[in-house]
Amino acid sequence: MSARIVYFLLSILVVAALPWLITTPYWRGILVLCAMNVLLALSLNLVMGYAGQLNLGQSAFFGIGAYVSTLLVKSFGWNFWLAALAAVGAAGLLGLALAAFAARLRGHYLAIASLGFAVITYQVLVNWEKVTQGVRGIYGILPPVPNTTALFYLVAAIAVLVYALLDNLVRSPIGETLRAIREDEVSAASLGVNGALWKAFAFGLGAAIAGLAGVFYPGLVGTLVPDAFNIVESFTMMAMVIVGGMGTMIGPVVGAVVLTFLPELLRGFGELRLMIYGIALTLVVLFMPGGMVQAWMTLRARIR
Amino acid sequence: MILQAKEISKSFGGVRAVQNVSIGVPEKSIFALIGPNGAGKSTLLNLLSGLYQPDAGSLHFEQTSLIGLPAHRRVRLGIARTFQKIRLFKQLTLLENVLAGFHIHQDVPLWKYLVYGDAGRFREEARSLLAFIGLEARSGERAGALPYGQQRMLEIARALATRPRLFMLDEPAAGLNAAEVEFLLQRLEELGRRGITVVVVEHNMDLVMNVAHRVFVMDHGEALFEGTPREVQSNPAVIAAYLGGEFAA
Repeated sequence: MSARIVYFLLSILVVAALPWLITTPYWRGILVLCAMNVLLALSLNLVMGYAGQLNLGQSAFFGIGAYVSTLLVKSFGWNFWLAALAAVGAAGLLGLALAAFAARLRGHYLAIASLGFAVITYQVLVNWEKVTQGVRGIYGILPPVPNTTALFYLVAAIAVLVYALLDNLVRSPIGETLRAIREDEVSAASLGVNGALWKAFAFGLGAAIAGLAGVFYPGLVGTLVPDAFNIVESFTMMAMVIVGGMGTMIGPVVGAVVLTFLPELLRGFGELRLMIYGIALTLVVLFMPGGMVQAWMTLRARIR
Repeated sequence: MILQAKEISKSFGGVRAVQNVSIGVPEKSIFALIGPNGAGKSTLLNLLSGLYQPDAGSLHFEQTSLIGLPAHRRVRLGIARTFQKIRLFKQLTLLENVLAGFHIHQDVPLWKYLVYGDAGRFREEARSLLAFIGLEARSGERAGALPYGQQRMLEIARALATRPRLFMLDEPAAGLNAAEVEFLLQRLEELGRRGITVVVVEHNMDLVMNVAHRVFVMDHGEALFEGTPREVQSNPAVIAAYLGGEFAA
């Protein structure tokens, strides 16, 4: 228990120190992106790692968070925080809509349905030009705070808070319920677990958290185009969760950090960059099926 | 009667798995359900527990009709079950498996879990259930790593965590060795003493004859006979069903 609090305080210290270590505006932007990716990986991990539902729709909720909040501010003059709240709510509600599919579909079928969901959302963002400006995009979006460093502290603080809450959640009996559904839904039902209800809970909460990450994205890059929420983003989030360690709390955080910085560090390789990235991903999945966190624990056990 | 089914039927495609079966389980009894392979015992159990819904007939738990009620709702009435093919949460520990069984008794609001984390409310009771099946010492191990016989016992402990009044077991002795069967028999008798109504589908005749107060025999999806273990053992129709038609006459 106390070790948990020590780790928690230590991680807050590290997060607080990061902008001192990383000083160029570009890299500070990457830091914000990293905090956002941590939120996204945590959100997907709740659905995929704990509740065991193969979900490729997460990019849609990220996009809903970004578009709903930006449009409410830009077109309707809402206060940013109020708009953020509405955007998170909208993403959460759409998560419940996707959960309606999850009540009937399993495994690969759910994966396809959720992928379809992400494709539809993307197409709406592209084609509903009257509202979203389509591929032309929305420009001149300001972050809710004065500079990138402040934005980093804001998003990182939210990520730490979300981590702490989810960590409590998965240690509680609700965590057992979600993992029971992941392991065997029929068996969970024989213990009185309403599978459809708890899957909806995981999808709704996961979608709301992804929407929350989306709220801060337009302010970081200054523009909003549908391509940022392409279905590829869903796969990137899945890669973060799997590379780090699905079904653990710290795994997706590690995965998000590694997969945010790795492509940046490989920029020196020019054209070869994506190839190296792809090979690295393949090797991790091939030789560390439980992700980096699992590999680290196995290694530590062997050394002892 | 704690559980009463009247003329329930279930077909899969053209196969009539259960046909017009009426069954009454007296409260606080140990009730055995036997019959040759394919007699429809497991299907009947699945109808009683809510995994399947019957095509026809009525089904009551005390005064409550169970028709249309899904499995997870029946658990809240006090009906628990185990499975013929073991369905543990293999990646979870023994303790976590049993803790998951307390789901319907959780009454802490969600936000408290988010803010304060686990209160560890049912840990003591979960440990005593593990002690009941003799596995307390292994509570931190993964359920999937247990030997087969102990997995069966763990499934029993997990189902008991729902605090059932009616407990149905689908072939609990399948794959157990003699010592394990003896232990199982003891535990079932203990449950009976604690006032839990036990329904057991079983092939192991020694177990059935030793533990059951009433025995219900099925064949070809229909009720064949019901009586005490002694009556069942000497009933010509039952003997014929088990030994096959050629020995009947």
